[in-house]
Amino acid sequence: MPSDVQPVSPDAVPAKPFAVRKARTRFFGLTFDECIRVFFGGNAFVAVIVLALITFFLFREGSAFFGQNRESLRVYRQAGLEYIDIIRQQEADHTALTRYLFAIRMKVVATLREERGAVIQADLEAAKNAVQQLAGAEGGATSTTLVSARARLAEAQKADAALGASINGELAVFDTFAERYSDTVLPVRGLVSDLGEIATGIKSRYIENEDYKVARSQFIQAGKQGEADAIQLREIDFKTEVAAITGILPAYQQINGEFTAALQETVRELPVLPVASLQPRLDRFKVLTQDYVAMFPGIEARLKAWDPLTPVTWSKSFSSFIFGREWLTASFWQDWYGVVPLFVGSLVISLIALIIAVPLGVCAAIYINQVAGPREQKLVKPAIEFISAIPSVVLGFFGIAVLGQTLRALSQFESLSWIPGFPYSERLNALTAGVLLALIAVPTIFTLAEDAINNVPRAFKEASFALGASRLQTIVRIVVPAALSGIVSAVLLGLGRVMGETMVVLLCAGNRIAIPDFTAGLAVAVQPVHTMTGIIAQEMGEVARGGIHYRALFVVGLVLFFIALLLNYLAQKIVRKYRISVG
Amino acid sequence: MVTTTSSRTPLSSPMETPADTPASRTFKVSSVPSEDDRADTLIEIKDFDFYYGTKQALFDINLKLDDKRVTAFIGPSGCGKSTLLRCLNRMNDLIDGTRITRGGVKVRGVDIYGRDVDSIELRKRVGMVFQKSNPFPKSIYENIVYGLRIQGVKSKARLDEVVEKSLRGAALWDEVKDRLHESGLSLSGGQQQRLCIARTIAVEPEVILMDEPCSALDPIATAKVEELIHELKKQFTIIIVTHSMQQAARCSDKTAFFYMGKLIEYADTRTIFMNPANAQTEAYVSGRFG
Ligand SMILES: Nc1ncnc2c1ncn2[C@@H]1O[C@H](COP(=O)(O)OP(=O)(O)OP(=O)(O)O)[C@@H](O)[C@H]1O
Ligand SMILES: [Mg+2]
Repeated sequence: MPSDVQPVSPDAVPAKPFAVRKARTRFFGLTFDECIRVFFGGNAFVAVIVLALITFFLFREGSAFFGQNRESLRVYRQAGLEYIDIIRQQEADHTALTRYLFAIRMKVVATLREERGAVIQADLEAAKNAVQQLAGAEGGATSTTLVSARARLAEAQKADAALGASINGELAVFDTFAERYSDTVLPVRGLVSDLGEIATGIKSRYIENEDYKVARSQFIQAGKQGEADAIQLREIDFKTEVAAITGILPAYQQINGEFTAALQETVRELPVLPVASLQPRLDRFKVLTQDYVAMFPGIEARLKAWDPLTPVTWSKSFSSFIFGREWLTASFWQDWYGVVPLFVGSLVISLIALIIAVPLGVCAAIYINQVAGPREQKLVKPAIEFISAIPSVVLGFFGIAVLGQTLRALSQFESLSWIPGFPYSERLNALTAGVLLALIAVPTIFTLAEDAINNVPRAFKEASFALGASRLQTIVRIVVPAALSGIVSAVLLGLGRVMGETMVVLLCAGNRIAIPDFTAGLAVAVQPVHTMTGIIAQEMGEVARGGIHYRALFVVGLVLFFIALLLNYLAQKIVRKYRISVG
Repeated sequence: MVTTTSSRTPLSSPMETPADTPASRTFKVSSVPSEDDRADTLIEIKDFDFYYGTKQALFDINLKLDDKRVTAFIGPSGCGKSTLLRCLNRMNDLIDGTRITRGGVKVRGVDIYGRDVDSIELRKRVGMVFQKSNPFPKSIYENIVYGLRIQGVKSKARLDEVVEKSLRGAALWDEVKDRLHESGLSLSGGQQQRLCIARTIAVEPEVILMDEPCSALDPIATAKVEELIHELKKQFTIIIVTHSMQQAARCSDKTAFFYMGKLIEYADTRTIFMNPANAQTEAYVSGRFG
């Protein structure tokens, strides 16, 4: 039976040609289907392209740094700054020893005051309070009581001053000793400052000449030969110039000999401290001094062997960045671009943040997923996720205005003084920033960890319950281990989030560029630090484009970029492993 | 609808000539329990109504399950077999909104939904094997000792002993004795299911509930598990949910047929398959519906 769509009469319409032609509409030579493909595929690849561009850009801007740094180190060496820094280090070590002496003195005074001055101290406090109360009450107190209170206060103050004076008197021998000790270094210090002037002179003339060279070549390029010729170049011959510095070696050796003798003479007889229990510290000081003196021949040997023309290697340029312990810019002496203080600052803050955020985020995730009822889930989940929507500058502001203030106030409480680092005075420090960053990391960790826990097959839990396990046992022994790799990768991504956070650390970390003092133990947490992200944000606006400082900031950016890459890679790898083991 | 005659057919009741029933042509009922009259009642379910939220899943169930016997629950999908099974060790407590409005369950005369009964203790006595094998992502050894570890057993010697005993009990020892510390997930499906059984018997429960334990297994693995059930029967009371009539006929001593949340018929397996009292039961076991 013919259907009605087919031509009824065979001769009315010729049979359609069978060949199916391709669609005719083309855009830029592509069919419609291909256009769609290109559009969607293109969108998918934008991410890859952007990533590649960013990497390329960072590398291009950053890689020139190492050449410039090498050049900078070369001038540092050839102008003799390096030579002087060897002696300077010797002087700095002496200063550190003097500080050690001073610390002993502080300790002695504190101990003596505690021993003898407890009553006086209490009297003083009581008198102060009484006066304050009476003065505050005004009309309520008769003037006679106020007068007598004032008199008591004056008396107490006098007693206090007398105690201070008597302690100082007992320490008089110690003080002359300390003064003699600290004066021993003066000749060396004088030598260093004389030499420093010569060296900075050489360096600044060199830099001036380099600037002229640039100007000249610019004139020549612009075709202004006359102006170019007007600039007179004075090449610096480092070898002869530096001879003025290295020439002092005999003088130095003599000064050093006297210095050695003076030190040994000074520590031969140690003063007796009024607090016997602290005497061992002074003995220790003597040992330290002897160690210090023992280093002198080595220093002299280094100075003798020093040669301004030794080339600076690439690896030196590289290691002075990666392992450099100083980030010092716009210095009259020498700029240093060492990433270590910044890296350590970032690390300390991130660790503090993680120590707070990991238990919080993970426990919250376990609780919400395994224990909480649906109503709690509806309340808590959006609340935690909302934290990540708070602009970080607002958090930073909160950190300065509220958190820093509150934490410091808390640290002043007598009853909390057992916490390492308490009490402290710097309002902005690694702890303040770390606590806020924890707040930023919690949503990331919580959300991802909750996902991981949620993905633990129900069957595992049921099997555990069916074997007579309690809810807690099931969580601890089955759910968390099964979700562990997911949780770990959540923590890694949280770490990445924290490492990359800028605004909060810039506002709250205290921004002191120095490796925190780890000898303080856990109290390292309350020291101000600077971070890799913070330094870029802070300095990028002020540096000359293309200069060494500018490029150094890019290399810091590169380091951050690689840290982020590494953390993400690890997180993905761990999650993938988890899938294989359960699937 | 058909009236439910929840007939606990007396064992001594005279059977009709088996050869005439359609079921007898389909099934070969092998178990001819001779000592049935000496079986005690272990579990007693009385006037039991159960709800998921507002939806009633079980209606007025009355059932007495025998000690050291295999009881099979059969019935079309969604009729409440799993629900009833999970009520016997209170696994349904873990689902939000489940309620029992009437009746109760007694194990050895103790009301398991009573106020002073600890569901955790109960589950140590009434173990469960699930439809889909679900070993933990741990080693074979750790899978077996899990139940003991959570009870605080630490002695290595005791754990080793239990592992061997349980694996032998689950007829798995010879296959895995050299790889006890490999992941339980590295075993085949049938081995995994036997591992789950071994894990259950390691805590020495009195009752083992099995919810379609063979539905994901091939015929050979199924045969092994069925053989195992025969062995286990000496020590444990077994309640098994199954969709396979042959399996119910081969393994069980008694069979309960459910339909739409109600117990339709409960009797000696022979009776159910050869001479059911209820027309629906007969229709189901002969494969005419369900
Ligand atoms: N968690 C639950 N929430 C709500 N209703 C449920 C739940 N579990 C089961 N039900 C309902 O209870 C009834 C009985 O379900 P059950 O799982 O006991 O059936 P079954 O006999 O085991 O079926 P099958 O043979 O398919 O496993 C069904 O109607 C089902 O939809
Ligand atoms: Mg079921």
